[in-house]
Order: sequence, then C-alpha cells, then structure tokens
Amino acid sequence: MDEKEAEAKKPRFEFKNYKILLVIPLIVLLISAGILVNGYMQTGDWFKRSIELKGGTLINIESDKPVDTSALENSLAGKFGLLTVREIRSFSGYGILIEASSEVNANNIIQEVKNFGITVQSFSVQTIGPALGATFWIQAQLGLAVAFIFMGIIVFVIFRTLVPSLAVILAAAFDILFTLAFMQVFDIELSLAGLAALLMLIGYSVDTDILLTTRSLKGTGMVGQRIYGAMKTGLTMTFTAIGALAAMLIFTASPVLTQIASVLLIGLVFDIMNTWITNAALLKWYMERKGIV
Amino acid sequence: MLKYWRIWLLIVVVLGAMLAIGFKTYPYGRTGVQIAFVYDSSPARGTLQSGMIITDLNGQQITDVNDWTGKTANLKGPVTLTANGRQYSFNVSDSIGVDVTNIDRTNLDLGLDLKGGTRIVLKPEGNATSETISQIVSILQTRANIYGLKEMKFLSVRDPGGDYYIQVEAAGIGRDIIENLLSRQGKFEAKIVKPVDLENNRGTIRLGGESFGVVADNETITVNNQAIMPNQTFVLKNIDFQYLNRTGSRLIFQATAYKGDDIEIIYTDPQRSAVVPQSNGYLFYFVVLVSQEGASRFSDITTGIPKIFDINSGEEYLDSAIRLFIDDQLVSELRISGSLAGQIYTTPQIQGFRPTFEEAAQEKLSLQTILRSGALPLTLQTASIDIISPTLGSGFITTAVYSAVLAMIVISAMVFIRYRKIRVALPIIFISISEIIIILGIAATNDSLIWASVLVINIFLIALAWWKQKDVDIYVWTGAILIPLLGIMSWTIDLPAIGGVIAAIGTGVNDQIIIADEALQIRERKIYTMKEKIKRAFFIIFGAASTVIAAMVPLMFLGIGLVRGFAITTIVGVLVGVLITRPAYAKIIEATTKE
Repeated sequence: MDEKEAEAKKPRFEFKNYKILLVIPLIVLLISAGILVNGYMQTGDWFKRSIELKGGTLINIESDKPVDTSALENSLAGKFGLLTVREIRSFSGYGILIEASSEVNANNIIQEVKNFGITVQSFSVQTIGPALGATFWIQAQLGLAVAFIFMGIIVFVIFRTLVPSLAVILAAAFDILFTLAFMQVFDIELSLAGLAALLMLIGYSVDTDILLTTRSLKGTGMVGQRIYGAMKTGLTMTFTAIGALAAMLIFTASPVLTQIASVLLIGLVFDIMNTWITNAALLKWYMERKGIV
Repeated sequence: MLKYWRIWLLIVVVLGAMLAIGFKTYPYGRTGVQIAFVYDSSPARGTLQSGMIITDLNGQQITDVNDWTGKTANLKGPVTLTANGRQYSFNVSDSIGVDVTNIDRTNLDLGLDLKGGTRIVLKPEGNATSETISQIVSILQTRANIYGLKEMKFLSVRDPGGDYYIQVEAAGIGRDIIENLLSRQGKFEAKIVKPVDLENNRGTIRLGGESFGVVADNETITVNNQAIMPNQTFVLKNIDFQYLNRTGSRLIFQATAYKGDDIEIIYTDPQRSAVVPQSNGYLFYFVVLVSQEGASRFSDITTGIPKIFDINSGEEYLDSAIRLFIDDQLVSELRISGSLAGQIYTTPQIQGFRPTFEEAAQEKLSLQTILRSGALPLTLQTASIDIISPTLGSGFITTAVYSAVLAMIVISAMVFIRYRKIRVALPIIFISISEIIIILGIAATNDSLIWASVLVINIFLIALAWWKQKDVDIYVWTGAILIPLLGIMSWTIDLPAIGGVIAAIGTGVNDQIIIADEALQIRERKIYTMKEKIKRAFFIIFGAASTVIAAMVPLMFLGIGLVRGFAITTIVGVLVGVLITRPAYAKIIEATTKE
C-alpha cells in the first residue's frame, strides 16, 4: 500500500463529543460505589477478603472426578462447623477449595473428604491466624496507599504540569476502584496475590496514560488525530495483555495465578475506558483551554 | 558489527543466564529422588539423611516422586535401596517413612508452593528484640541439627509494623515435623563422667565428704545394697547416677551435675565472654551463672576424680569430662580443669581453643545455644501454616509452562494482526523469551562474587561512558547498579514470582509495541528522524518503568515476604527491560526499517 494512500484512508477523528463520553465512567463510578457501599452495609466490609487478609484455613484439593460440592459442604459442616466448599475447574483436572476457620485441624478435614469418597490426588493447606490476618490487612491497605502516592509523585515528575498529571492519577484511581468493586460481582476475594496484581495494575494503567499524554502534548497534527494515533497503539498493548492473561486464566490451576490473572483482566478492561475516555477527555479539555489544538 | 552491540549484549546475557539456570552436575545420575525427611518411626532413621539421592529400590530404578510413592505404598519386609551410590538394607514392618522430593533439575531455588513442603510462621509472644529472635532461631537451628533435620530453613522476618516473626520451612510434608520440633522441651543436662577404680572388686564412690561402697560382680554392681546393671540409673545423695560399664578394674559412672534450670545466666558482656587471639589460634570463653544446688552437685561429683597432665596445653585436667545432652542426645563434651575438682563455683567459665577466629566464635555460639536450649526465651505462637504436597506444586509448573506458550501465541498473533509484519512480531517473541530466561538466570545466580564483579564492571562502564562524554541516562545507571544488588538477594521462584515474570513480560511487550509504533509512523517520517522517534518511545517506556517500580517497592515489605517474589521479579524484569532488551529491540527495528 502506498504511504499517501494510507494517509488518506485514515479516518477523521475529531474527538469532539468528549464531554458527553465522560458520562460513561461516571456511571461506572456510581455503580462501583453502589456495590462497595452495599457490601459495607451488609457485611461491615467494603469488599471480600481471602483468608490471608482475615485469618482462616484454606484447603485446596485436586481430584480426578467432579465433586458434588454442596453435599460435601453439608457433610463437612456437620463435623467442623461453618465452612464453605467451592469448585475450581481447570484444564489440569478437578479441584475443590474448602475454607474454614483457623481453629480446625486441616488433616482431619482432608481425612473426612477422603471418607466422603473423593480421591485426594494432591492438596495444599494454608492456615493464617486471625491476628496475622489482621496485620496483613493493615499492611495491604498501607501498601496500596504508599504505592499510589509513589506513583503520583513519579507522574508529576514526568509531566511537571498539574492537570495532565491529575488526569493520569485519576484514571489509575478509577481503575483500582472499579476493579475492587467488580471483584465483588465475580465473587473474587482479595488476597496478597490480588494486592500484587492491583499494584501491577497501577503500572499497566499508567503505561497507556503516559503514552496518551506524551503523544498528545508532544505530537504533531490535530489533537484528535494524536489521541487517535495513541489509541491505536494503546489498544494493541491492552488487548495483547488481555489475550495473554486470558491464556493464563484458561490453563492455570493455581489459585495464586488465577487471582493475579483475573484481577489484572478486570482492571485492564476498565483501563480501556479510563485511558481513552476519562483521561483522554480531561486532557483534551485541558488542551482546549490552553489553546493547543 | 559494533553498531549492533546492543543485540550482541542481549545474546551474551541470555547465554549466560541459560548457563546459570541449567549448568548442573548429577553425581548419582539424572533419575532418582531426594530425601526430604526421615520419620522417627522409619527403619532408615539414623542411616539415611535428608538430602541423599535414592536411585533404586529393590533393584528397580526410581524415576521421580510419583514412582517412589507408588513403589513404597504397600512396601513391607526386607528392602534394599541405593542412596548416594551406596546400598542400604532395612526391614520394613509398617512403612518406610521417608518423604522425598524430585531432584533439582535447575539451579533455581523453587518456592515451597512449587516443590511441596511445609512452612510455619511463628510469632514470639511478648517483647521480642532482634537479640532474642536470633537466640530463638539459633536454638531452633541447633535442635533441628540434633534431630537430623539439616534441610530445615529458619528465617527471622520483621514486618513494617516492627513485629518479629520466625519462618520455618521444611521440604517434607506434615506440620507434625515442625510442631514436633517446637514442642520438644529441649531438656538440657550436663553429666560428669565419674571413674571409680576397683581393688579386689571393691571400690568407693566419693561425693563431697561422703563415701559409698561399690561391690562389683562381673557385669552387675551393688551400691547401697542395690543391684545395678549396666546403663541402669540410681540416685545417690540426691544426684542422678547412671552406671555405664566396666573396663578392666575401672567402673565408669555418669552423674548429672546441671539441668536446664540450673543454668541461670549466660553472660555475654565483653569481660565475661570473648574470643581472644593466642599464639597459634583463638581462645574463646564465657562465664555461666549456675544455681547453688548445681554448683554443689558439681563439687560433690568431682571430688576424688584423679587428675591427668595434658602435654599439649601444659595444664592439668580431671580424668573425666562433662557431657552436654539435649533431650538425651549427646551434643558436646568438655574437659574439666583440674583446679575445679571438689570446688563450689557458681560462676564456672567455659573455654575452648580453635585455629581460626570464625571457628572459635562459632563454637562459642553453639555451646551457648546448647546451654540455653533448656527453654526458648519467649513462647512461640503459630501464626500461619502452609502445607503443599509435591505433586500439586509440579502440576502448577506444568500449567504455568502451558499458559506461557499459549500467551506467546496470543501475543504474536495480536501483534501480527495489528502490523501485518513478521519482522515486527517475531522479534517481540524472541525478546520476551529472552526476558524470561534473563530474569530466571538472575534468580538462579546467588553467588555474591559474581554479582560483585558484575557491579564493578557496570560501574567501570558507566564511568568510561561518562568520561567519553556519552550521555548516560538515569535508567542505565540505576539499572546497572540495582540489578546486581537485587541479584545478591536470595529470592525464590514461587507462584507469585511466576506471576511477576508474566507481569514483567506484559510490560515488556507493551513497550515493544510502543517502539514498533513510533518507528513505523508514516506521518511523522518527514518531521522526525528515527533516532528522535526511538527517543520519544523511550521517554514513555522510562516513565512507565518508573511507575511500575514505584508501585512494587511497598510490596517487597508486605505480608512478611509472601509476595516479595512478585515484587522483586517484576522490578528485575522491568530493569532488564529498560537496560538490555528494549534497546536491543529498538536496534532490531531500526535495522529492519531502512529509510
């Protein structure tokens, strides 16, 4: 294809109605806030935490056949008190996750699962005392806050202008907030691995934001065209990452990797919106005010 | 050629990393299993040690853990196996009681969640200081050594809130192993060897001012009208005695001088505890405060023990020894100075001589630990337990490899669809695989000498570039200095670390797309040169890299290091990216996109 021809075929991208587009992230913001507040009203917690962040015992059993989880749960609950049994399915086989209090003896539960007629091919047990769980939870909140502040400082150092920096930071904050809210919808409990994924999401989020801001402020051509060019690159980046994470999610049987992949996956989907609507619109508005068109 | 030095550098680093991961020797062949733990009930207890490689069982080759589990499941009767090239035979009545793991195929230090094992985190109750924590770790380590659990790892961790934790890791399965170790009381006893010489089969046990007659009749002896067989115990003047044996006309007894609670203080101040140089080596000594009762038992027992002259040291010693036991296991033996016989000393001094300072300091610490083993300075609470069966862990590795392959296919397909150019898509795959290898290679290299040399070379190169007035940006020098420093940190490849590798590769692919995109922009070809475009790409890349690193730093200190693997791998991956692989990719794109 001839270069000039390619040039001519480029769609005109004016990005004129950006103020109206901003309604979309605002609606998602309201929905997310609703989900989190609803969770807080019902359980006293903004979102569900895994045993790592609250204490308890998690038993992961791999078996060769599908398991009737509700029958198993009833049977175990009669002997060990309150516990939940969930099914995890992956390419490598069938698995169940049993969550109980940190007081129970995991060996007895595994024995009971065997008595129930389930072949225990392999297993893992994680017990976190309530005190340690509470400590981890405080650390996790602190870590998230510190990471966010560090990120903010770096963004300011990079751009050295107030509004574009704030737009990037706001987009990252939205990413984290929306992801936490929709983790509740998909019934994903936040663990330390999930926290790691949220922090990584900050990195991925800022990645495309910096691309957008740099190209818009330092590029050539119409602002709309610059944003469009950046968007083509950025979407390739994000969709490639989403594809790779989906591949990981399909194959892995590990709860740790499943958590990392699903948190990042949810986050990246929201990042598309927050980079190319939230951040882009704020940036365009800023550039119009500054007379850079 | 020199124009492409960035690509050459990448190739050299990748080859080095491959060597670091995979270069290994197998003294007992590539198949077999490694012993993780030998149970108390096992017939092999005492002969087989953790760490040994078992290659065959009853003439059949053992290939891996599954093979071993299958072959030993219902194993009873006489068993012959080869461990570390030697044959051993046992009679199995119940079960062989040996936990094994697969032989390490790489130099990677795989995490517990990938190779299976038990990890317990203990929290000391009360006011813990770094000193009490290191005492506890040293006591636990000593206990583990006594019980043959040499593969057990102890680590003290301090969380950002200032709380101390002790992490115990064992390759074998079962929390009972570790809990057993902790619940052992660490019963300490110091027993003094007391010889009694016979004349016409009669002798006297002298205890302080008192004497007790002994009549010997072949094996059996009679003390206080009580018949005593060898190894039998009895009590004289409130002192626990044990009759060991008879050699010629000499009876050997063992009498308990001190128990755990008799050791009141182990002094650590420099006046009473030190290592000092001497003419041909180092003397260590420390003073212990013992109870009044202990001191008088010592005085009673040592009364009447003959003295011997030691030619080597020119000093007089008792013809005896003080033996230190923990949970009835002999852990050390010391000589008693001749001047101490029959004396009541509440502050005896323990001393020894070693050829080097390190050995003397080590021996001093080890003896202090043994004396302390009576009690841990603080109660330990179990804060968390992780148990992972070995087969589960190896399954995770397999699925991680599958998902990596599928992810690569997805990435290359996406990039190809977007750019329709093999020369853009193919290098991305090549670079991503290189990045995985380099990250793992850095994790596999734990030799501080190697990293120290890398650091020196890097600093030299930066200085050279600066002197030649080439511009060295902040990322090059932070990367060149930080990578060796992170490399020295021992860091295991666990599941979070695998997540970190994937995250780092993700940012890597993103950056390469930015480079490709900037380089291939048609519209701006006339306005900017290739150099300027690449420079703009790197502005974005460096910015993104900084934010990722900034976000990962707090993660290194959270959750007593449970997700440290994720943080370090990501930081290393990003640094390797900006320093080695992105410049190489940019060069490849520059070279293939001739203007």
